[in-house]
Amino acid sequence: MEKLWPVEVSPRTKYLRTFWSELARVHSHLLWLGLLADAFGFESMFLQFWRIRERVLDLLEMTAGHRVIPSVNIVGGVRRDITPEQKKVIIETLEVIRKESDSLVKVVTNDYTVKARTVGVGVVTKEQAFALGCVGPVLRASGVSEDVRLTKYDAYVDLNYEPIVETGGDCYARTLVRARELFQSIDLQLEVLSKLPEGEIAVKVKGNPPANEAMMRMEAPRGELIYYAKGNGTRNLERMKIRTPTFANLPSLLVMLPGCQLADVPVIVLSIDPCICCMER
Amino acid sequence: MPLMLPTILKNLFTGYATRLYPIQVREPFENARGQISFNEDKCTMCGLCALRCPSVAITVEKKQNKLTFYPFRCIVCEVCVHACPSDAIDLIFKWRPSSYDKPEEVYKSTRLEHLRETTDAAKDALATKEDK
Repeated sequence: MEKLWPVEVSPRTKYLRTFWSELARVHSHLLWLGLLADAFGFESMFLQFWRIRERVLDLLEMTAGHRVIPSVNIVGGVRRDITPEQKKVIIETLEVIRKESDSLVKVVTNDYTVKARTVGVGVVTKEQAFALGCVGPVLRASGVSEDVRLTKYDAYVDLNYEPIVETGGDCYARTLVRARELFQSIDLQLEVLSKLPEGEIAVKVKGNPPANEAMMRMEAPRGELIYYAKGNGTRNLERMKIRTPTFANLPSLLVMLPGCQLADVPVIVLSIDPCICCMER
Repeated sequence: MPLMLPTILKNLFTGYATRLYPIQVREPFENARGQISFNEDKCTMCGLCALRCPSVAITVEKKQNKLTFYPFRCIVCEVCVHACPSDAIDLIFKWRPSSYDKPEEVYKSTRLEHLRETTDAAKDALATKEDK
């Protein structure tokens, strides 16, 4: 939205936004790994992952106020700040999360029951993934090294970031990508916290949105998210469009589903991490 | 399954991951967004909060001096808190307790009442002055 005016937000705002988006990624991937275990009937694993996720939700509640939707972003900045005491707690908790999920991710990636249900299931080749316009982990699991974080928005300019790519293209590869992104995301958060610059958290933005249009691409946990906004100088926006990653990933099911076993359908559908309520707009 | 074994064994000897909720209540975080509260002494029934609310949880009828708040529609997004020009809405970190029905809360601005009374009195005084 700041691109509409345009307003330059402070560096601290950028870092805080990056931190919350990475924390949301950890939460989303943990949720997904739990749901994957649930999809092929590994109930105890499901609960283990969700127990770790609870720590992430506590961190979100402590810093942003809400458990899932932080609602900290306002035009021109953020509403909440991270105090040094909170920072200490966050770093400690992130280490605990890393340790706990490490042992569980080992199970997901090595256990034969998991492999039996995911390896070679729902294969999308590199060309197909690209042609169908897949985004996020689905695209990266098919061997295409693409991530919107590479466009260096927000604080990603200063962070060491390399997209995680797998070449399998099946459900197992998508699991690996998400599992590895989990740890990468924790690393990114620690980096953000160590580099957190001082400064204002919000800039005052005055007036209605001007007659201008702006587009923003960002990497949500599920893939590329596009926001488009068009103002006309009045209080209300003329147009607002959100393209969610699930909408872009859905066509890949056309390749994955035909000819598969009926019992594999839940795992395949889940492997694109569908969020129907986000998509249906 | 052998890979899962250490986690399973650890779970046998560690405590519960959950709490016995109604008996054992965890204190919410200092920053948590529990609920919003209206200050009737400060509110002027300007209706900005109702205009900004994304989930239509507030309706304001200025003529009747009546603000209706539907707590179960509220998502505690803090927009009204920042929109209020007279700081009449506060954020409380305590969660709203669960309930069986979805009652609405009606508020009345004492400040507006007082303002109206004084203006009425002034009008009366003016009228009597003119009569004389």
